[in-house]
Amino acid sequence: MSRNRFLKFGLLAVMAVIVARLFFIQIVQHDYWTEKAAAQQTLQYTLRAERGEIYMMDGDEPVAVAMNSTVYTVIVDPMLADPNETKAKLTEILGDKRVAEWDDVFADRSLRYYIVGNNVERKAAEKVAEAELDGVWLQANTKRVYPEGGLASTVLGFVNAEGVGQYGIEGALNDELTGKDGLLKTVKDVNNVALSIGDDNVKVPAEDGDDIVLTIDRNMQYQVEKILVEQTKTLGYKNISALVMNPNNGEILAMANVPGYDPADFGNVEGAEEYVNHVVEDPYEPASVCKTFAFATGMEYGVMTASSTFNNENVTYVDNWPIKNSTQKTELLGMVDMQTAFNWSLNTGSTQVLRWLGGSETEINAQGRDRLYDYYYNHFGLGQATGIELYESVGLVYAPDEVEYGVDSTYANMTFGQNMQVTMLQVAAAFSSVINGGEFYTPTIVKGKLKDGEIVDATPRKVVRKTVTQETSAAMREMLYNTRRAYRANGTDKAGYYIGGKTGTAQVIKDGEYSFDETVATYIGFGGTEGENPAYVIMVRVWEDGKTAGGEAQALPVFNVLNAYVQDYLKIKPSGN
Amino acid sequence: MRPQATYTTRRGTTMSTSWSRNQNIVRHKAKSLGTISNTMIVGMLVLIVGLIYVAQGTQATNYDYELSAIDDEIAELEARKEDLAVEKARLTSIASTENSEVANNMESATNSGFVTE
Repeated sequence: MSRNRFLKFGLLAVMAVIVARLFFIQIVQHDYWTEKAAAQQTLQYTLRAERGEIYMMDGDEPVAVAMNSTVYTVIVDPMLADPNETKAKLTEILGDKRVAEWDDVFADRSLRYYIVGNNVERKAAEKVAEAELDGVWLQANTKRVYPEGGLASTVLGFVNAEGVGQYGIEGALNDELTGKDGLLKTVKDVNNVALSIGDDNVKVPAEDGDDIVLTIDRNMQYQVEKILVEQTKTLGYKNISALVMNPNNGEILAMANVPGYDPADFGNVEGAEEYVNHVVEDPYEPASVCKTFAFATGMEYGVMTASSTFNNENVTYVDNWPIKNSTQKTELLGMVDMQTAFNWSLNTGSTQVLRWLGGSETEINAQGRDRLYDYYYNHFGLGQATGIELYESVGLVYAPDEVEYGVDSTYANMTFGQNMQVTMLQVAAAFSSVINGGEFYTPTIVKGKLKDGEIVDATPRKVVRKTVTQETSAAMREMLYNTRRAYRANGTDKAGYYIGGKTGTAQVIKDGEYSFDETVATYIGFGGTEGENPAYVIMVRVWEDGKTAGGEAQALPVFNVLNAYVQDYLKIKPSGN
Repeated sequence: MRPQATYTTRRGTTMSTSWSRNQNIVRHKAKSLGTISNTMIVGMLVLIVGLIYVAQGTQATNYDYELSAIDDEIAELEARKEDLAVEKARLTSIASTENSEVANNMESATNSGFVTE
């Protein structure tokens, strides 16, 4: 074969190989290489939706109490970084934001990634960038900040490291606050700059989360918490919770739990107990404040008035079980009226209401139980979620057919708030309806959403149901007013104001039995100008594990301090002015 | 009768037999470009279109760079705005206000009452 022929065949063979290879790459492996090219040429990332902010009211102005801030993570590449220069400069710049020991960072120089600073704020991050250190770079992150510190921490909740809201508003309204991430997918150049050329570019803008405005008044919340902290010291009890609400529309003005925590440093707590909002998440036996509802039910059925009388023996037997009064004063023995029974919180009196509801002087029967349950559960909403925009416990109010043993004694106990579990909010919402003319409002803590500086999407406040008649409401207001005056609080309230309330002291179930060594103290009351509708309702709960607390001794003094403050803050004038 | 085969013009020249009088006797022949010229022209046109395309593409890319820079600037300014808002909120928080030097130097409020007749 001549050299020319050899060369021709050789070239032909080479070309055949190239054609075959091109065929393999372009036809057979088409999808694979297309995908690979697209991956190299396409820029794709998630456009992060910004978490909505949370506001409280300051007068008529919303003020931010949960916000977002850009913070930076400082990362060192130990292989590239100069140990001495990096240590010297970053130690000074990072200060307490440094999270690694330098010996550890440079112990293994083959590492390429070591986080040395977390949550570094902008000013410090700018200094790091200006230092132009080799092998040191910054990564921006978003952090939730709470400019008011621990204010309303159990109401606000916090955002965990994954950016998910936990507890409080942050948890309950997490979906609304989170928003919706967007997507950017474009052709890019070698500098990673997104190019507008290309047919498959996609840009779905992120939808930021809603800015939520709470009904809580920032100033009132602050003062209420301050008062509660002072009272824990004065009274010597660890836990106090309080609630201030507007009974005429269900708006929560303050909701406080002491002790609280710093939501920006949510890991720094003694236990998860500190995250709990006891006003809505912690059902308890409300004790004698429940007499308000039992007596109102009696008035609704026309079986009693404040002047109705019964024979008080300071003890009464139901299912052969003695029900005693907490006060055993001999001067209360004999015929006493219901106002006196209410003043002295006589359990025998509330048990008598249950008998009267059944149309009997001496027996508790099915009619009485059904009537009481109907009012407790269906009218007052006890043992049911209120519908507030927070995580809330339901509690438990037994229907008559759910009680296996001692149904009569169970219901007798329920007239003075034992053998049932409710939340403070349930009690406060029901109490508000009893004293406002009988109108039940779903309690709310969300005023609306903030858009372009305006509060929008406010849920209109409307009456959900009638609980009692105007007449019953007026009569109960008067009973509560008289009880407060009689209850040794006389003299503490200024003239011209109309303030009423009721104490409660509940035994706590320990190891399946009522304990005599631990009680929970409560006080609920209303206030306003004499002759006008009550302007506010305040509820207080005081307790500590292993200690007894009394409604009169511990909860009433806290109410008195809060009442004086709220009265002034809301600029409520006495009658005649 | 067959027309006159030859005739003499006024200028004295003799014209061929088959042409009638006053007819245009100039014959034009169409000229065409050569292959090389055609190729060159097409090449030039393609080049011009290509250059326009490249210029437009480069212009678009320049805009993309400008856009990217503006986006970065917006993000930076928004982050600064957020930081300032947080700083403002901290400075105007109740605890900061209450513990401020101004607040500490204020006199305590005295009890006030309503005027009664």
